[in-house]
This record gives sequence, C-alpha cells and structure tokens, in this order.
Amino acid sequence: MKKTALLIAALTCATVSLAAAGVSGAASDGGSKATAGTLTGAGATFPFPLISKWIPAYDQASGTQVNYSPIGSGGGIAAITARTVDFGASDAPLSPDQFTACKGCVQIPWALSATAVIYNIPGAPQGLRLTPALIAQMYLGSVTKWNAPGIKKLNPGVNLPDLKITPVYRSDGSGTSYNFTDFLTKTSPTWKDKVGTGTSVSWPTGVGARGSAGVTGVVTRTDGGITYADVAYALTNKLKFARVQNQAKKFTLPGLRSINAAASSVGKVTGNGEISIVNPAKSQPLAYPISTFTYALAPTASPKADELRKFIYWAITSGQKFGPALLFAPLPKQVLAFDYKQIKKIQAST
Amino acid sequence: MTTTAHDQAPAGLEGGRLPWRVGDLVFYALTAAASLATVGLVVWLSYKVVAQASGAIQKFGLSFIWTVAWDPVKQNFGALDFIYGTALTAFIALLIATPVSIAIALFLTELTPRWIRGPVGTLVELLAAIPSVILGLWGILVFGPWIAQHLEPFLERRLGFIPIFSGDPSQAGMLPAALVLTLMIVPITSSLCRELFSRVPRDLSDGALALGATRWETIRGVSIPYAGPGIVAAVLLGLGRAFGEAIAVTQVIGAGSGFPTSLFEPADTLASRIASEYQGAVSGLQIDSILYLAAILLVISLITNVAAQAVVRRFERSRGKIA
Repeated sequence: MKKTALLIAALTCATVSLAAAGVSGAASDGGSKATAGTLTGAGATFPFPLISKWIPAYDQASGTQVNYSPIGSGGGIAAITARTVDFGASDAPLSPDQFTACKGCVQIPWALSATAVIYNIPGAPQGLRLTPALIAQMYLGSVTKWNAPGIKKLNPGVNLPDLKITPVYRSDGSGTSYNFTDFLTKTSPTWKDKVGTGTSVSWPTGVGARGSAGVTGVVTRTDGGITYADVAYALTNKLKFARVQNQAKKFTLPGLRSINAAASSVGKVTGNGEISIVNPAKSQPLAYPISTFTYALAPTASPKADELRKFIYWAITSGQKFGPALLFAPLPKQVLAFDYKQIKKIQAST
Repeated sequence: MTTTAHDQAPAGLEGGRLPWRVGDLVFYALTAAASLATVGLVVWLSYKVVAQASGAIQKFGLSFIWTVAWDPVKQNFGALDFIYGTALTAFIALLIATPVSIAIALFLTELTPRWIRGPVGTLVELLAAIPSVILGLWGILVFGPWIAQHLEPFLERRLGFIPIFSGDPSQAGMLPAALVLTLMIVPITSSLCRELFSRVPRDLSDGALALGATRWETIRGVSIPYAGPGIVAAVLLGLGRAFGEAIAVTQVIGAGSGFPTSLFEPADTLASRIASEYQGAVSGLQIDSILYLAAILLVISLITNVAAQAVVRRFERSRGKIA
C-alpha cells in the first residue's frame, strides 16, 4: 500500500516510455524479415476501417499477412521514422521537418474521405446548413447559442432552440483534427491567427474527449453539442451532420459524390505528394469542403521492399473497391499516376 | 535478532545440513535481486524521464513550470494549467474522501457488530478493485451525464453565488473528475484508517468509556488522536493516487486549458495530458514537453510519498516512546 503512489507514478512514466518503445516493441522485428510473408504497419485511425477490409482480402489475394495498429497519425509518423514498422500511415501530411527526420521516406496518398460536422440539437433535422465562418466562430467561442441570427438566417423553417453551443474536440492527436483545423485555417483569418492547423492544437473553448467514439459520445449526451468525425463513423452511428458551405456558396453533405468533386480539384501531384482538397475552388460546386487524403508512409530503402510495393500497389488499385461502402472515394487518376512513381522509389535495402 | 540468526547458520552447517544453507543463499540472492531491481528501476526510470525531457528543459528551463501555454502549432509549451488542474481535482477529491473514509473506518471498527464488518469492509475494498478505465467509462456514460443533469444544476441553484459552483453544467469537467478520483481514493484511505483504528488499544477506549465518556467523546478523545498521524499518512497516499491517475481522469475531465474558476468547466491534469497527447505528438519538442510534464508529475508523486513515509516514521517513533 505504501508504494501505491510511487507505483502509479512509475506506471505513468512507464506507460509513457512504453508508448515509445511499445510501438517499436510490437514490431521490432519488422526490419529483420522475421517471416517472408508479413508486413507491419501503424498509424492513423481514420483509414483503419478500410485497411481492416484490405487485410483479409490481400491475405487471400497474395498470401502476405499485413498487421496494422491504429495508434494515430503521430504514432505512425514516429514509428516509420524509427523504422520499427514496415510502413506508417498518417492523415496529416508530413511537415518538411518530419520529412527530414524520416530520412528517405515517401508519402503515398492511398485513400480519400471526409470529416463530418456532427451536432446534437433536439428537434433539429439532419443536414443543418452551416458556413465555415459560423463553425469557426463556434469553436472560437464568439457564437454561443444555436438560435444566433447567423444560424437562423441560413436555416429558415428549422426550429432552433435557445441552447448553448458546446464545441467538442479531440483531446488526442488526430488526423481528423488536422483536417478540421486545416479547413478552419483556410476559411477563417481569425482562426488562422489564433489557433492554426495541427493534429492537436490549443483549442480556445469547448470540451475535449478521446477518439471519435469519445467526441461523439459527449455530443450525443450533451444537448447543443457540436463535433467532427470521419463521415463513415457518423453514418454508422446514425448521427446528424451538417451541410457545409463550399467556395461556390453551395451547402453540401459529405458523401461519395461530394468527396469525388473535391478530389477532382487536384491538379498534377508533385513534390512530396502533399495534397490539400480542403475548401476547393468554386469551380467544384458539388464539392464537400472538409475532404482529405490519407497517406501511407514508406521508406525508400526497405528490407521488405518487394512486399511493400506489391501491397501499396494493390491497395491503391484493387483495394479501392472496398472504399465506397465505407465512404472512401476512389483515388483520382492524377493521384494514382503520382503514386505509381512513388511506389517505384521503394527499393530493397542492402 | 540478527546475531541469533547469524549464530544459527554455522550451527546448521556443522550439523551437515548443507542443502539448507545453499537454499538460504539462493533465497537471499533472489529476494535481494528483487529489491535491488526495484530500486534500480525507480532510479533508472526517473533518470530516463528527465533525460528524455532534456529538449524541453533546455528550451523552456524551469519557467516551464509557471508558464501557461500548450500550443503544439506555435510550439509553445508550459505546465501551469495542468499543475493547477492536478492540484485542484486532487484537493477536492481529498476534501470529500477524507471525512468519508474516516467515517467508514469508524463505522467498521467501533460502531458495527462483527458480522456486518466483514461484508461491508470487503465491499468497500472491492471498490479499489474496479479498473480505473472502467470507472472512467462509467464516468462518461452514467456518472458524467447524471452530474450534468442533476448534481450541477442543483449546486448552481443552491450555491451558485460561489464562483466554483457557477456556470453551465457539463458532463466533462473538474467536478466529475474530482468525484471519480474520490471514488478511487476512498477504498485506499478507508482501509488504512480502519487498520489504524483497530490498533487503538482496547484499554484506552474502555478506560474512557468507564470514565463516563460517550462513544463520540471516546472516538474524538482517544481513537482519532491515537490514529491521527497515521490518518495523515493515509490521506497523503490517497493524494498520490489522485495525482497519478490518468485514464479515468482523461475520460471525464474534458481536456481543457487555462484556469477555470468553475468546477463545471473542463480542465486537465498532468497525468491526463500525458496520456491523451503522447501517442499523437508529432514534433520532437512536443514529445519532450510531455516528458517534462511526466518529470514534474514524478517529482510531485515522490515528494508526496516521501512525506507520507516521514509522517509514518515520526508516528512510529512517538509510539515507541509511549511504549
């Protein structure tokens, strides 16, 4: 009993160091080709529903066993930088610093989906209309009631109650937060100044919770709550989400068509492969403005280069057919063309 | 004591019972290795945490401790919000847990017939067996919403003039966190207090009763003074538990920042911030800063624990003088 406090302190720290080592521990033999037919990956939770469909299908198609731990984008970047996994995955593109740290990594956009803006207002219907400016003001704490004139004007005929708006955000580092804050940064100068874009940011107001389940859990139990999560999650859990105004001043729901429209704004993909399809130009009137690519991260020198190339190639070609059911839109041609070039850069390490 | 043990060993050797001696040595080596390994682990672990935090320690220095900032985008970090959250939630938890624990312990040792003691005592201690992640889930699904819908509106109606009970009810905030912590501390402190009260010499309390004291006067005049320093130590151990709890707190505190004056508002503790951000940290400086938080937590916990041990030692010494 005397040691309880000490033990807890020790455990807290042990967890911290384990988190670092655990990523590596789980897959420490990743680099030493333990079995010929296995690949180990870790990273973003956002593409996990899709990846978990890929794993058995790819096993059947090729005999290669893929293991994937959905530990979050940040964890994925850390793991591939330390080369403790064969591939990483992240929703947030690597920053230039992270690219340098990763020493010869390629970033391959391999899936495409959207972030839904979820709300809980008793009596309000699905598809409430919101502008980027209003969403930013809610998360900045300057619009605080659901019956604010701005919201009422956009939604005539909807009975909006005099209810406090409770913005809910992800307390863990998350690619979904990256996508959402990127959208706010690109649409609201105040947001850009005060907060900015990141997998975790300094939220000016609201309540934090862990994971998509955490944030939507708080929102479903808090009248007046608003949050964001990937659209597949919102749909499977029958949550109400908003129509968000795009640059063409149209209000769109996240769905395959509107995600595709956003993705078709992509020109030729160059450089590191970072693609932002957030708030696309008004030439895409159907586009849902909070859409995002999610990336596979692979080393250019890998002991399992052959398997890795095959798996990623399969994922961006045959693997895409599993997407639509989970609201992942198929990759556009320009992106595929870029991906083929990137995949070729993965070479066997000597 | 040691001399007799020492005398016996050669005697065993002369008797030709060598296997015993080897067994003893092995046993000694094993126990020594276990304790040394534990001591070594604590030292190595503390060193490692501080070493890993060195990036943030160099960049922000000691001012990290009194800086209010946690902005991964602008790469500006400080710990004061979380120290505040840790201290406040733990303090409130103790404020509630201490009298409750003492009451439970008194009830079980002095006021109940023996046949009730066993089952009730076991049930209270079973509370400690609930994994914190489950308490946290219960906090999210049941307790938090109940607090937001009933307890907080009630507190606001009756005590809303005090700033800490004002504001909008929320299912995630400092009050739910403090109450979940209370639930985690009560089994520990109450079982320690129970142990302390059961050690109060029977003659002392019987004497007081014989002199015409009421049961309450006996408890106040004999049991509590006798067990006092032990109770302080028990409370300190509970405090250590409250400081270090991460998972359950993360689930109910709402990951806020700043210095909310109302208990209804979200805040964050050191442990909970470490648990929620470590895995997703993207920059080296953010990871270092999280480890800096871990180092601060480690120091606070060690101090609490050493304080508890010091109190116990003083208590035992003064007891020795009496005897």
